[in-house]
Amino acid sequence: MREIEDFTLIGKTVLRREDSYLLRGKAQFLDDLPEPKNLIHIAFVTSPYARADILSIDAAAALALPGVIGVLTGKDLVDDIKTFAPVIELDGYREVRRPVVAVDRVNFVGETVAIILAETPYVAQDALDLVEVDYDPLPSVAEINEALKPEAPVLHQHLGDNLIFKSGFETDAFDARFAEGDVVLEEEFRTGRVTGAMIEPRGCMAWPDPIATNITLWTPTQIPHIVRTAIADHLDIPESVLRVVTPAVGGGFGTKAHVYPDELIVVALARRYGRAVKWVQDRREDLLTNAHARDHILKLKVAVKNDGTICAAYLDVKTNCGAYPNHPYSPTLEATAAVRMMPGPYKIRNYKYDVCSVTTNTAPTGAYRGTGQPSAFLAIEGMMDRIGRRLGIDPAEVRRRNTVRPEDFPYVNVIGVRYDTGSYLPSLERGLEIIGYDAFRKAQPADRMVDGKYRGIGICNYTEVSGTGAPGWRVRGFAKMPGFDSSRVVVEPDGKITVYVSQADAGQGHYTTFAQLAADRLGARWEDVTVIEGDTSKTPYGTGTFASRGSVVGGGTVIRCSEKVGAKVRHIAGYMLNRDPDRFILRDSRVHDRDDPDTSLSLREIAETAYSMNNLGMPQGEEHGLEATDYYDPPMVTMANGTHVVQVAIDPEDGRVQIERYAVVHDCGRVINPKIVEGQVHGATAQGIGEALMEEIVYDTRCRISKRPASTQSAASRARPRVG
Amino acid sequence: MKPAAFKYFRPDTLEEVLSLLAEHGAEARILAGGQSLVPLMNMRILSPAVLIDINRCRDLAYLREEGGMVACGALTRQGEAETSALVADRLPLLAAAMPHVGVRANRNFGTVCGSLAHADPLGELPSVATALEARFVIASARGRREVDAEEFFVSALTNCLEPDEMLAEVRLPVAAAGGKSVFLEIANRAHGFAVAGLAALVEFDAGGRCSRARLSAMGAGDTTARLRTVEALLEGGTLDDAVIREAGAAATKAAEPSDDVHASAAYRAHVTGSLVRKALRQMLGNGEQGR
Amino acid sequence: MTLILRARFFPPLRCGTDGEDPVMSPEKITVRMTVNGKAYVRDVEPRYLLADFLRHELYLTGTHIGCEHGVCGACTVLINGKTGRSCLQFAVALDGAEITTVEGIAGDGPLHPVQEAFHQAHALQCGYCTPGFLLTTIEFLGQNPDPDRDEIRQALTNNMCRCTGYLNIIDAVEDAAGRLRAKGGEA
Repeated sequence: MREIEDFTLIGKTVLRREDSYLLRGKAQFLDDLPEPKNLIHIAFVTSPYARADILSIDAAAALALPGVIGVLTGKDLVDDIKTFAPVIELDGYREVRRPVVAVDRVNFVGETVAIILAETPYVAQDALDLVEVDYDPLPSVAEINEALKPEAPVLHQHLGDNLIFKSGFETDAFDARFAEGDVVLEEEFRTGRVTGAMIEPRGCMAWPDPIATNITLWTPTQIPHIVRTAIADHLDIPESVLRVVTPAVGGGFGTKAHVYPDELIVVALARRYGRAVKWVQDRREDLLTNAHARDHILKLKVAVKNDGTICAAYLDVKTNCGAYPNHPYSPTLEATAAVRMMPGPYKIRNYKYDVCSVTTNTAPTGAYRGTGQPSAFLAIEGMMDRIGRRLGIDPAEVRRRNTVRPEDFPYVNVIGVRYDTGSYLPSLERGLEIIGYDAFRKAQPADRMVDGKYRGIGICNYTEVSGTGAPGWRVRGFAKMPGFDSSRVVVEPDGKITVYVSQADAGQGHYTTFAQLAADRLGARWEDVTVIEGDTSKTPYGTGTFASRGSVVGGGTVIRCSEKVGAKVRHIAGYMLNRDPDRFILRDSRVHDRDDPDTSLSLREIAETAYSMNNLGMPQGEEHGLEATDYYDPPMVTMANGTHVVQVAIDPEDGRVQIERYAVVHDCGRVINPKIVEGQVHGATAQGIGEALMEEIVYDTRCRISKRPASTQSAASRARPRVG
Repeated sequence: MKPAAFKYFRPDTLEEVLSLLAEHGAEARILAGGQSLVPLMNMRILSPAVLIDINRCRDLAYLREEGGMVACGALTRQGEAETSALVADRLPLLAAAMPHVGVRANRNFGTVCGSLAHADPLGELPSVATALEARFVIASARGRREVDAEEFFVSALTNCLEPDEMLAEVRLPVAAAGGKSVFLEIANRAHGFAVAGLAALVEFDAGGRCSRARLSAMGAGDTTARLRTVEALLEGGTLDDAVIREAGAAATKAAEPSDDVHASAAYRAHVTGSLVRKALRQMLGNGEQGR
Repeated sequence: MTLILRARFFPPLRCGTDGEDPVMSPEKITVRMTVNGKAYVRDVEPRYLLADFLRHELYLTGTHIGCEHGVCGACTVLINGKTGRSCLQFAVALDGAEITTVEGIAGDGPLHPVQEAFHQAHALQCGYCTPGFLLTTIEFLGQNPDPDRDEIRQALTNNMCRCTGYLNIIDAVEDAAGRLRAKGGEA
């Protein structure tokens, strides 16, 4: 794309338009939507056992309860919904399919074994207690290494063991290159299991159209088009009869970027009963069944020269898949991200990895905040510190010596990913400067004790995959991941602009920023631009909002599409004024002749021509209408980068960590709306701190979650990052 | 997460409450602030058949000084205790603990007696009541009885109330002149459940010797626990660095905490000692009585 | 008297109700409540939570449910002027109460100074938790009109936000305090 030089709105803080209804409590989240009459509320009977055979299900008492419409088991749904599985075409991945409701066997605590259909949510909850399920509990396994032991219970018999995915990579003459190092360091890193814990749990509502055969599914998803395709696939219905709409979405963080069994179930039930069907998740179900993430073991072994530079690195990664592969990514998402991202901003030219994913009797894991990247950076950054300690080199200096340097761009990393540009060294230096690194180190005593507390500084450099296009997904085996996103930009007959985008906002501010992009590129007033997304019946097909792709791919397509429409606007204006279209500039919803300031036309006047609302007709070869559609598939991936530097104090009395100062330098490229970008960085940093210090989902020896709900999920006000 | 159905009663007087309790006994629960009860009901950990709402019993909401004690009624909100001048003046230990009890929205409704009756070994108020040697006034249609903290708190989430009884009042001895009190807590977040905590009250004689020490640890056992070995060690002596270190070690030894997902037993025992050291040092460094 | 399970552990099992029919005695009780200045009368089951009452009986869906056990604060409303978790209150127990929800802060008029401050500071992203934060802030600034940032942080422990990292919310509350003081000065 050509460089844009003439910004009017891009790069400016515009206050968010979505605030006006959010602040008044007028946004409509899933459970806020008006309910259709004759609605069926459903609730899920879930397994208390991590692994068990279902011997029998007795629903008589539940069915006798006034207000209960029905109780369905897995067997009742096998003809309606195919077994559920993502489509992954990657060597080393072995398919596992799951029934959306367990039929004979449960494999994790929280897995659905029966569905209550009731007139009210309260009665549905009452009925849950009355369904008697007879289980034969079986041995279970939650931990990766335990699941890999030969004597471990095997979750999916057709695999023969619990290895659902295994892959490897090695550069030429790796062993020889590794042997060239002066020192070898090895360390094992583990990341705890976490989840998005959005303040709004999930839920969904399917609403059959009473006159047509269409069904609308309301679901707070980050990927409405992918949800629609998956439902059509698994229910064997035409994609054309299904409409997926996202209401306001109360936080996503990747957790809502999956297709979940309940989304298939409500559509299937709405079709079966011809009534609207609604499910609202509660916090317990959120924590038991929404996609978890991390739970990785990373062994990193490096051969290092005496000057601290890495000659070769070997990374062994094991990830916990949970009981079943998530849809649509499967466990390969985090596994391949971890091993592919580990080199990050560092010049590691000799690299070998082994990676595997293991099924266990735990909730399925999936996408969340950076997928495998945080784990990979924990390992490599932890190793940088260890290299410094071993060789007596300052840890910041070790990083400097290994970093890809400005003159190296464009740089193709060891696994073939191209970094077109990056600010790796400048970001590191800026982070160190903000935190006052050199002065701190000079003053730091050998025992690190200052004023009764251990005080130290941690550094993390990172690259961040964003805007992955089709090639970037294909290379990792995601056979059905579109990769592109799309938009349709319409100048309406009144000269106002509607922008339809294939994305789905979950709080990122798309309704403001995409309007900025379109207004900027079309020379329109921002107020004149309306953004519509999260509705498969209104927007063209696309991938969705996750993996840091919203601005890059969604924003990219809005820019391209707006420019296409702008060209048509100029063309019609040229025809109307009988001048060369290239003379025109677009500003304030008007077309101006750059050499003749007195001559201009409003977008409305041009639109009236385009919509045949005058007697001018259209220029030769030009169709009526004033819109364009654009599909943008970015090449491979875009790499952002940044550095976090944090000063912490540790109380030797109780081990508590206090964050004293925190510097974030994040280079995300061209900023659309600085305030919104800052907000995103604040929020991501707080969740990162939570993941590092406070959050973890812990399974006990019986594979049950022993965990306080939600309360452990948010970064504390005690750990308050100051971002600057 | 929706509560199961229950029969709802809303009496206006204590007598009516007690007669309903006599009638429904173990089937019934008292609804005061509901800040501990309703979460358990929403999760259906608890599904009482009968709720007796005492929020109309205005006579049960009071804080008053009588006979060297501050009497706190069954309907006195935590927020009222937090902002009470009487509490600030007479019960500095309670005043210091109050901000740690839940969050503002909890304290606006949650009652002091409700939190005590909940008998959570990680609760702030049970720990304060134990350190203060509070008296628990228990009422039923059969009459009244009074017990001390160690009798009241039986085990985790278990108090000594019979099914027809309720905690009608707690009586908290006012702080002695020259006494010092410190409340400390370790939690994973600024609010929410504690990992460990300590309510400490030390009185000194004219010669500056410790005349009376009462320390009660949160999360150091199945109930909120007096650290008697520490108290014995402190009483009769002068607070100095050596004694403080010894007291910390004794506290770690005395603690009998359990593991959970938030902290190991070893960590809890360790920080119980560290909290004792911190509290005693604060008392030394801080001339005036109070927080 | 004993509670069955330790409350702080997330219950892995759904506990039964001792074989009792759980919908016995669902006789509805009449509740009169003034919400955002408007009087309502409804007949509801005793177990009906205030949050559900507001959302599904009165269609005031701005009060959001996040955890249903009093932790997250999304459902915070003002009950007789004080913040309370509407997921921990039974509607029947609030007969005669005055409630303010997010819809009542400014009605359809210009934004309240606290709302305006949140808007200016970009103190919300998905906005799901925001109604609770607004009501917490209104109560807090009523009690402490000129707080420092640490006091603001303490007050905000009432609520959880997963999107913003809190920094802009602290800025917003600080700004709101100034706006309210200025407004008070005029009046």
